[in-house]
Amino acid sequence: MDEGPVLELRGITKQFPGVLANDHIDFDLRDGEVHALLGENGAGKSTLMNIVYGLYSADEGEIVIKGEPVKLSSPHDAIDRGIGMVHQHFMLIPVMTVTENIVLATEPHTAGVLLDYSGARQRVLEISKRFNFAIDPDAKIQNITVGQQQRVEILKALYRNADILILDEPTAVLTPQEATELFAILKDLVAQGLSIIFISHKLNEVLEIADRITVLRRGKRVETVPRAGATEAGLARSMVGREVLLRVDKGPAHPGDRLLQVEDLRVIDDRGLEVVRGVSFDVRAGEIVGIAGVDGNGQTELIDGLAGLHKVASGRVTIGGKELTGASAHIRLDEGLGHIPEDRQRRGLVLEFSLAENIALHDYDKPPFSRWGWLNPRRVIERARQLLREFDVRGGGPQTLAGALSGGNQQKVVVAREVSRNPRVLIAAQPTRGLDVGAIEFVHKRLVAERDGGRAVLLVSLELDEILSLSDRILVIYEGQIVGEFTPDVGEEQLGIAMTGGRRSEAAA
Amino acid sequence: MAVRAETARLRTVGVREVAVAGIVLGCFAFVLSLPPITARSPWWPALAGIPAIGAGIWATTRGARRLGWFAVSAGILGIALGVLATNASSGHLKSVVSWTPLFATMFVFATPLTFAALGGMFSERSGVVNIGLEGMMLTGAFFAVLGTDKLGNWALGILCAVVAGGLMALIHAFVSIQLRADQIVSGTAINFLALGVTGYFFIQVYGDQGIPGSISQVPSVNIPGANHLGAIGRIFGHLNLMIWFAFAMLILSYIVMFRTPIGLRIRAVGEHPRAADTVGISVYGIRYAAVVVSGMLAALGGAYLSIGYVGSFNENMTAGRGFIGLAALIFGKWRPFGAFAAALLFGFSDALSLRFQQPWPSQAVLFRALPYVLTLIAVAGVIGRSIPPAASGRPYRKQ
Amino acid sequence: MSEGPRDPELNDEPEILDTEPKPPEPLAADPTAYAPSVAHRLALLQRAGGIVTPLLTAVLAFFMGGVVVAATGHNPWKVYKGIVSGTGLPWFIHFGHHHIDIPFTNHHVFFWWDTSVVNNDAYNLQQMLIIATTLTLTGLAVAFAFRCGLFNIGGQGQYVIGVITGLWVGTNFSGMGHVPHVLFAVVVASLAGALWAAIAGFLKATTGAHEVITTIMLNWIAYWLGSWAFGQGGPLQNSFNPSLPVSNDVVPSAKLWPFWGNPALQALHIGFFVAITALVAFWFTLNRTTLGYEVRAVGFNPEAARYGGISVRKNYIITMAIAGGFAGLAGVMDMLGYQYRFGVLDVQTSNIGFIGIAVALLGRNKAIGVGLSAVLFASLLYGTSTRSLNSDVFPTALASNLTWMIQALVLLFIGADVLILYVWHARQRLVRWIRAQWPESIQPTGTG
Repeated sequence: MDEGPVLELRGITKQFPGVLANDHIDFDLRDGEVHALLGENGAGKSTLMNIVYGLYSADEGEIVIKGEPVKLSSPHDAIDRGIGMVHQHFMLIPVMTVTENIVLATEPHTAGVLLDYSGARQRVLEISKRFNFAIDPDAKIQNITVGQQQRVEILKALYRNADILILDEPTAVLTPQEATELFAILKDLVAQGLSIIFISHKLNEVLEIADRITVLRRGKRVETVPRAGATEAGLARSMVGREVLLRVDKGPAHPGDRLLQVEDLRVIDDRGLEVVRGVSFDVRAGEIVGIAGVDGNGQTELIDGLAGLHKVASGRVTIGGKELTGASAHIRLDEGLGHIPEDRQRRGLVLEFSLAENIALHDYDKPPFSRWGWLNPRRVIERARQLLREFDVRGGGPQTLAGALSGGNQQKVVVAREVSRNPRVLIAAQPTRGLDVGAIEFVHKRLVAERDGGRAVLLVSLELDEILSLSDRILVIYEGQIVGEFTPDVGEEQLGIAMTGGRRSEAAA
Repeated sequence: MAVRAETARLRTVGVREVAVAGIVLGCFAFVLSLPPITARSPWWPALAGIPAIGAGIWATTRGARRLGWFAVSAGILGIALGVLATNASSGHLKSVVSWTPLFATMFVFATPLTFAALGGMFSERSGVVNIGLEGMMLTGAFFAVLGTDKLGNWALGILCAVVAGGLMALIHAFVSIQLRADQIVSGTAINFLALGVTGYFFIQVYGDQGIPGSISQVPSVNIPGANHLGAIGRIFGHLNLMIWFAFAMLILSYIVMFRTPIGLRIRAVGEHPRAADTVGISVYGIRYAAVVVSGMLAALGGAYLSIGYVGSFNENMTAGRGFIGLAALIFGKWRPFGAFAAALLFGFSDALSLRFQQPWPSQAVLFRALPYVLTLIAVAGVIGRSIPPAASGRPYRKQ
Repeated sequence: MSEGPRDPELNDEPEILDTEPKPPEPLAADPTAYAPSVAHRLALLQRAGGIVTPLLTAVLAFFMGGVVVAATGHNPWKVYKGIVSGTGLPWFIHFGHHHIDIPFTNHHVFFWWDTSVVNNDAYNLQQMLIIATTLTLTGLAVAFAFRCGLFNIGGQGQYVIGVITGLWVGTNFSGMGHVPHVLFAVVVASLAGALWAAIAGFLKATTGAHEVITTIMLNWIAYWLGSWAFGQGGPLQNSFNPSLPVSNDVVPSAKLWPFWGNPALQALHIGFFVAITALVAFWFTLNRTTLGYEVRAVGFNPEAARYGGISVRKNYIITMAIAGGFAGLAGVMDMLGYQYRFGVLDVQTSNIGFIGIAVALLGRNKAIGVGLSAVLFASLLYGTSTRSLNSDVFPTALASNLTWMIQALVLLFIGADVLILYVWHARQRLVRWIRAQWPESIQPTGTG
C-alpha cells in the first residue's frame, strides 16, 4: 500500500432484533479501485453499506475516510465526505425530471431563494458530458428506461462530487446489454479517479469488474482476495460455506397428457408495455418444466397471466383441456390450478389470519369448509391440523397467526395448501426464495413428488441451480419471449448465453 | 419515448384548440339567454350549442378525447340551461344574474376556500393528508375574534388565528408524523377537537353577553376611482383586504412550491420520502413545517370568515368550508392555480345559489351540493383523473 | 449467471416464534412498505393491547377533558358526577317496583330491578339507550368497512339518506298495516343507505378513488339533499306550515313499538333489539360466513385475497353497501322510533354518524367493543344534554363541547397507538426489570 485507503471500516458491528447483521467487519477501499462486496442475500452487504452511507448507525466499530475517523449519522454527512450510493431500488421520484432528481437537496439558487433550474440543467449537462452519459435532463424519470434511471442515480452522486461510489446490486434490474454499458461506465469512472464499491452476489460479474473481492457470509467477513487468482468455485465456496450444487434425487419423467397449454400469450403491464410477447409452450402431466431467465424478463407477468391475476392481452391458456384465457383466478383455481406465488408474505399468506384460515384461502367457499355461505371453523381447523402434521410445519398450531411463523414454515403452509388441493397444474414461482437449506430440500422433494404423482409442474425460478436440478425440460425466457428449450443436461454456460439474449436465432430454432 | 410524446402533442394542438373553442361556444350558448343579452328564443342557445357539440365530437375522434368530451358536455349543458333560462321569467333572470355583484360575491365566497385549499396543498404535497382543514379553519375563526376583541386590533387578531391554527396543525403533525398514526383518524380528531375547543371557549368567554358588536374588522380596500372603471372596477373596487391577501398568498404559494428549492423538497418528500431521505433531506422536518403552514393558512381562511366577512363568531361557523377547500384542492389536482380556479367555481356556485334564494329558494339549496358532485366526478376520473402525491397518507418510518 | 443466493439467516437456528419486529428491509422501493395498512395496525394492536388499550385511551381522554374543565374554573369531579348521574346508569343500583313490561302486551313480569318510569333514572336510562341504539348502528357502519380495510367517513351521509327515505315511507302509505309498513320503511331506508355508500365502494373498485374523499363528498351531498327535501318547497316538507322547514310526522302505522317507559315521553323502542341483533349479525357475518372471510381477507391483505381467488372489487362494493345499510338503518330507527320528524336544522346539526367513527375506533371494530363504546358515548351525549345535566353544576353548552373534546382525544389516542403501545410495553419492561432486580420478593406473590 503506497498510500492509505480512501475508506476503511474497522470492526463494524450491527445488531437488528434477532439478527446480527454485521459482526466485526473490516473492509478497506483503495484509491481508484473497484472493490466488490460478495455474498448471498442476507449476508450483510447492504447493511454494511447503509452504515457507510449514514442510513444506519453501527453499534460498534470505526469508519475512517481518507485517514480521518468520522461519524456518519445521516446521508448528509456521508455526502459531505464524498460518498455516493446507488441503491438497489432506485431513489428517484418518477414524476420529476432528471435534473430535478439530480439536484434535489443541493439545488442552485438565484436571487437568494429561487430555484435556478436552467443553471442546474446546465451543470447536469456538463457532468453528463464529462463522463459520457447520454441523458435528457428534462425527461421525466417515469419516461426513461431502467438503465437510464441508473445513470441518473450515478449522476446524482457525481453531482455531489462523490469520489467514493457504492453500487448496491446494480445489475439486478438491468438487461445484459445495459449491464455491459454499466461496466464500461464504471471503468470510465475509475479512470477519472473514483473508487467504487460494487455489491453483488453474482460471481461472474464480480470477476469481470472488481480489482479486489471481499466475501461476506452471515454477517462476517470471510476473506478479501485480489481478482488475480480468484476462481468462481473458490469464491462460491467461501460465499456459501458449502458445496454449491444441490442435486435432487429423482427418477426419469414419464410425461403424459398436455395439462397446461399456452399459445401465443401476450401480457401488457401497468405501464402499457408488452412484457410477455407471444409465449407458447405446454406442460405435460408428470414433468417439471423450468422457466429460466434474468429477473424482470416477463416471468412475473407470465405467471400472473396464467393464474388469472393479470389481464391477458391475447393468446390462449388451456388448463386440463379447458380453455380458461379470460377466466378469473377463482375459476382457474377450481379447474385444477395450484399456484405457489413468488412472494409468500405479500401474496401467498394473509399474515394476520390464522394458519387454518390461510389453509382455507382457496376453498373457504366450498364444502367441507363452508356450506350455503356459512363457514364451519371446526372443519377448517381439523383440516389444517392434519396438513400441518403431514407437511411438518413447526412453530404453531392451526390457530397460530401466519405472521408468527418463520419463512420456511410459512412456505410449507403455502405448499401444503396448494398441493393438498390436488391440482392438475402446479405453478411454482421462486418456491425456495429466502429459505434455509432444510426447507429448500423439503420444497424440492415435494415438487418432484408432485411430478411423480402425475401433475404438470411449471417451475419459474431465477436460480439456475434450482432449474437445472429439478426440471425435465428447460425453457429460457428473455424479454418476454421464450428464446430456447433445453434438456437438463445442458451446460450452465449455454443456458447463461440464452438467458442474456445471445444467439437468439439459433437457440430458438 | 419522450420525443414521441412531444410530436404527438404537436399533432393534437389544432384539435385541442377546436375543442377549447367548443367549450367556449357551449358556455356562450347559456350566456346568450342570460342578461344582459337575454335572448328569449330557445333557438339562440341551440344555434351556439350545436356547433359546440360538433366541435367536441370532431375533437374526440382526432385524439383530444378529454377536451372533446368537455366540449360535448358544455354544448349539451349550454343548450339545456339556455332553454331553461329562456323559459324563466326575465324579471327573475335579472334578479339572479347580475354579473358584477355575482363576481364580487364569488370572490368573497372563494377566499376562505382558497386559503384552505392552499393550506391543504402544503400538507398533502408533503405527504400528509389533511382532513383536519375544517377544524384548523374553525380554530382560526374563533381565535381571530378572541384576539381582536382582547387585543383590540384586527391585525393582532389575525396573528392569534395564525398561531392557534398552527398549534392545531402541530397536534396533527405530531400524531401523524411522529407517532405515525392514521392520518385520517388524526384529521377527524382535529375536526372534533376544534369543534369542542372553539365551542367551549366561546361559551366560556362569550356565553353570557355574546361577542361585542364593535370588534374591529378587517377593512375593505377602496380603490380610488374604481367606480369609473366599469364592471371590473365595481368588482375589484371594494374587496376586503384579506381577499387581496388571498391573491398574494396564492402567488406566493405557487412560487414557493414550484420555483424554490424548498418546494422541490416538499414535493420530493410527498412523492418518495425515502429518496428524499437518502439525499439528506429531513423528511420529518419538511412534513412538520408543511403541516404547520397548512394549519396557518387554513386559519387565515377562518379569520377571514369571522373578522373579515361576518364580524362575529358562532359555533361551527365554518360549516364545511374546510371540506370544500379540500375538494377544491383535489379538483384542482393539488396545484395552486388549479385549486384557486376550483375555489372560484365553487364560490361562484355559492354566489349563484345565494341569488337564487329570492325566486327559487328550494332549488337554491340543491345548488350548494354542486361543488361536492363535481369533486366526486373529478376523483372518479370521468373528466381527467385527480391523482394525489404518491406518498400522501403514508407515515414515514426512519431507518 | 451464478447459482442462487440463499437466505442463510434461518440456517440451523431454532424456529422464530415470537412476533418481534423483523429487521427493517433494506430500503424497500415499494412505498406501501413504509407503513402497514390500517387493518394491519389494528390487528397488531388487538394482539398487543386487547381490552387494555381502549380502556386506557378512554380514561386518558376523560382525564384530559377534566383538566380542561378544571383549568376553566369548574370542579371536574362534580362535573363528571353530574354527567354520570344523568346518564341513567345509576338505575342499575336502584330497587323498587319489581316488574318489567312484556313487549306488545299489557302484561308485566317480576324483575329484580326497579323499572318504574316515575323514577328519573329509568327515564334517563331509556333515553341513553335510545341514543346508544343509533350509535351502535352508525358505529357498525364504520367498523364493518374498517374490517375490509376501508375508512367509511360517510356514516353521517348514509344516516341522512336513511332518514330521508325512512321518512318518505313513514309519512306516506298510511293505509298499510303496522308490521308491513314498518318493514317497508326499514327495508327502503337500509337499501337507500346501502346504495348511497355503495357509490363510494363502486368508485373505489372501478377507478381507485379513495373512499375517504368520496364519502366526505357524499356526506355533503346528502346534507344538501336533506336541506332541500325538508326545506321550504322541498318534497318532504310538512303540509301544515309552509314556512316551517320540517317534515310531517311519521304516521302511527309506521311507528316502532315502545317497550319500556312512557310512550308520551319518548320510550325505549324495539330498535334497541334491532341494534343488538345487528351486533350479533355483524359478528356472525364476519366470523362465520364466507362473505366475512372474504371481507377480512381483503381488509388484511387485498393482494393475497386476490391471489386466493377473492374478488377484491366485489368486496369493496358489498362492504360499503353493508356499512351504508347499517347507517341507513340507524336513520330509519331514529325516525320511526322516537323522533318521528326531521327538519333542515336537524340535518345541519346532526352528527350521530360522525360519532360513529369514534365508537367504532374505540370499540376496535369488534362487535362487543362497538356495543360497549356506543353505550359509553351515548352516556356522554345524553349525560351532557340539557335534559339531564343540571346547568347549575355545569353549563350544558360547555358540556356538549366537552363531549366533542373527549371524542377528539379518544381519536387522537387511538391514532397514536404507537404511543399507547409504547406505554404498554414500557410497563411490561418495568415489570421485567423489577423482577430482575428483586426476583425473590416479587415472583412468589405473582404481582406485576
